[in-house]
Amino acid sequence: MDNYAYQLYSQLLKTFWRIFLIILSIAFVMFVFPFVKDVLIIFIIAWLLSILLSPLVDFFESKGLGRSWAILIVMILILTLLVLSFSQIIPGIIRTVESLTSKLQSNIITDFSVKIENFFEKNFNNAELARNVTAKLNDIGVKLLGSLGAFFKSVGSFLASIIIIPFITFFLIKDSRRFKRAMISKVPNRYFELSLNILHKIENQVGNYIQGQAMDALIVGILSTVGLFIINLVFDGPIPYFFFIGMLAGVANLIPYLGPIVGAVPALTLAILNNPPNLGIVLLWIVIVFVIVQVIDNAIVSPLVVSKSVNMHPVIVVTVVIIGGNIAGAMGMLFAVPFTGIIKVTSSQIIWGLKNYRLRPSPITEESYSLEGKS
Amino acid sequence: MENPIWGNSIFRKKKKEGNIYALLKQVPIFSDLKPKELTEVEKIVHRRKYKKSEAVIHMGDPGLGMYIIVKGSVEIIEEDKKAGQKTLAKLTEGAFFGDLALLDESPRSASAVAIEDSDIIGFFRPDFLDLLKRKPTLGIKVLFALARVVGERLRQTNELLSKIQEEKDKARHG
Repeated sequence: MDNYAYQLYSQLLKTFWRIFLIILSIAFVMFVFPFVKDVLIIFIIAWLLSILLSPLVDFFESKGLGRSWAILIVMILILTLLVLSFSQIIPGIIRTVESLTSKLQSNIITDFSVKIENFFEKNFNNAELARNVTAKLNDIGVKLLGSLGAFFKSVGSFLASIIIIPFITFFLIKDSRRFKRAMISKVPNRYFELSLNILHKIENQVGNYIQGQAMDALIVGILSTVGLFIINLVFDGPIPYFFFIGMLAGVANLIPYLGPIVGAVPALTLAILNNPPNLGIVLLWIVIVFVIVQVIDNAIVSPLVVSKSVNMHPVIVVTVVIIGGNIAGAMGMLFAVPFTGIIKVTSSQIIWGLKNYRLRPSPITEESYSLEGKS
Repeated sequence: MENPIWGNSIFRKKKKEGNIYALLKQVPIFSDLKPKELTEVEKIVHRRKYKKSEAVIHMGDPGLGMYIIVKGSVEIIEEDKKAGQKTLAKLTEGAFFGDLALLDESPRSASAVAIEDSDIIGFFRPDFLDLLKRKPTLGIKVLFALARVVGERLRQTNELLSKIQEEKDKARHG
């Protein structure tokens, strides 16, 4: 009985320490997270890039190139493509934002401030109050400029990131197997095959999912661009920077259900601001283009390229998108669904492994094997 | 007669002393590989140490890959709730087992238990598939050799079956 009590006591003590360690780890992660957030984001982006670029690297390697050379070639190719497209897109974005700002200012803000001043002067005949209001407006202007400074600061860190991210991506692709082997070598023998199998399945499915999502976004982007280009041809260019808008629609498509709407809004806004003679018809055609793209995506593209293993209920999708938006804004909304997909795949594979592998010692192995002998 | 499923002495060449590289060369599925190709294989295998009585694989678990014994020995055991445990083979240095798991995830048909402290190399399907994708020429060489091993085993099993059948017929007809 004493022995039983001792065993129970030691079991309870073990459980207590386990729970204590888990709580301590969670607290530590929560404490450390704000400090490592930026580095973590860089690593996540590099990891996603490594998943996206790996098939291309594997292809070059299969043609006889060394892995390092294959990675370098792929990175140079991608970088050239990015520089070329950005040299076309960025001036477009700047011009779009400038024209949007000037139009918004002239149409809304200027009208609004003049109306306010007139209102105060007319109704209260109070120049001081009008000045106060103007001062407040100036204050807001200064704050806006301040946030612009913060924006440039973030651009600085962005520039640093675009050097660091390819560097980390290179090594993640080159040494991923070595990292995996080093990690798996620490796993006890009993869990070795289980861990290796689960790790491989997760890697495979997450890779397929991310590559599928990227391919889907690219195809939707191209289809939207082509659609907008045709509208521009027919209606004499009512949508400026259609390439940028089309690709943006592709990226927005990463958010299921909400993405297509988010993707169509910039095109509709630009068309309204551009105010072509037949605005109503143009807007109708923009909507038709986006609907057609969605039909093609849902009927053909998505079933072919996006992994079926991460199907999610619409309620879950909307919920995680809202949570993602609350945590990390637009980026959070964009990555909420893929991130949830990764968690879903990972947990389902862990459950599969635990169900299919015998983790307890078998009657003939470990302790019992040496004691009982064999029949 | 040696068990055609687990006994693989027919494939085993005389063991030379040396490192993993030399040991891999002794394994039939790697025996056709050039030194540079063997170095590639060496990069993706996992080396593990097992204590005496420790299970390497469990019967019924999903198959993941094959094991090659570098040092020590392993017993292949079939578990049966009614009949108990049945030893199918005892494998020593240079021998390999579980190679069929390189082809699919079918449950392991037997357990393998180290009967002394052993040093074992594991070569697994995920790494093999990755090798096939990255280095198709090398992957196909390994795949072809694996098919040869499986074919040879099938031939042996057929011979064994017909021998048993003959013995049965003889016994029946007096």
